[in-house]
Amino acid sequence: MGVRKLQEFLTIAKEGLDQSFMVAKFFCFLHVTNTYICSPVLPEGPSMLPTFSLTGDLVLVERISARFGKVCPGDIVLVRSPENPRKTPIKRVKGVEGDSVTYIVDPKNSDRRKTVIVPKGCVWIEGDNMYNSNDSRMFGAVPYGLVQGKVFWRIWPRERFGSVR
Amino acid sequence: MVGWIGQWRSIAKEALDQTAIVTKFLCFLHVTNNYLCSSILVHGPSMLPTLNLTGDVVLAEHVSTRLGKVGLGDVVLVRSPENPNKSVTKRIVGMEGDTVTFYADPINGHRSKTLVVPKGHVWIQGDNVYASKDSRQFGPVPYGLIQGKVCCRIWPPDGFGPL
Repeated sequence: MGVRKLQEFLTIAKEGLDQSFMVAKFFCFLHVTNTYICSPVLPEGPSMLPTFSLTGDLVLVERISARFGKVCPGDIVLVRSPENPRKTPIKRVKGVEGDSVTYIVDPKNSDRRKTVIVPKGCVWIEGDNMYNSNDSRMFGAVPYGLVQGKVFWRIWPRERFGSVR
Repeated sequence: MVGWIGQWRSIAKEALDQTAIVTKFLCFLHVTNNYLCSSILVHGPSMLPTLNLTGDVVLAEHVSTRLGKVGLGDVVLVRSPENPNKSVTKRIVGMEGDTVTFYADPINGHRSKTLVVPKGHVWIQGDNVYASKDSRQFGPVPYGLIQGKVCCRIWPPDGFGPL
């Protein structure tokens, strides 16, 4: 009597374990794809208007170019913020190491421009909405090691489905 | 003729099975190296006398950095801000908000500089201040570049143990 119950329990436990393994393997596969190949991201905030809306966009970020160093000026990248390592803002690359970048220091109040040369191993990132963006104009050039991926495709909203320039 | 194909198919299946096992092992190794603990060969004069000139093998664990539990006095592995393909090993001498005072050129003078480490950054220096390229040259390093914390040395055997 007791032995039968034990056997039933063992069968159920084994099946539970198998299913858990399958779910775990699926999550591992998802994680590896997200970290090394491609992942969806929800950009938020006003700093990349009009390219990305305030909320409600869904884009795809690919991680391969950044690993091979193929990030160029004009690309939109996902970086780890140098001010808060838990945040990952999305900005556009305006200059790579050795480039000379000219930017408006405070566009709301004056037209004063400044020119810097991007140091070795760093990139200069700026939001498309220069009036409301916290970027390299405030925190300086960002070391290349903080670049996580390149935004290449927009999935949502459907009217703007397609590659992102 | 059919016997040949049958043999070939069984050999191919066995090769595929073995490859799958090797792939799974490499995946497991990769995950462990990236998220738990990995062994690193470090060399160079910048961390004398803590680490030797010609190659020590140390264990670096990656859990603390992810949890934000890296602090003052830790020896850490960071991705170099000047060359993203290189990783350097240095000690954290200042966390964000700390005031650091350092000698810009310890061989040639006693002129010292003081600054406050900005938010989200750490100040790293090699233990051997006379031969180390660190935050005194390239400035404070964003926390996101820290890859792991060195916890103990495994080679040479007479230096075995925590740093």
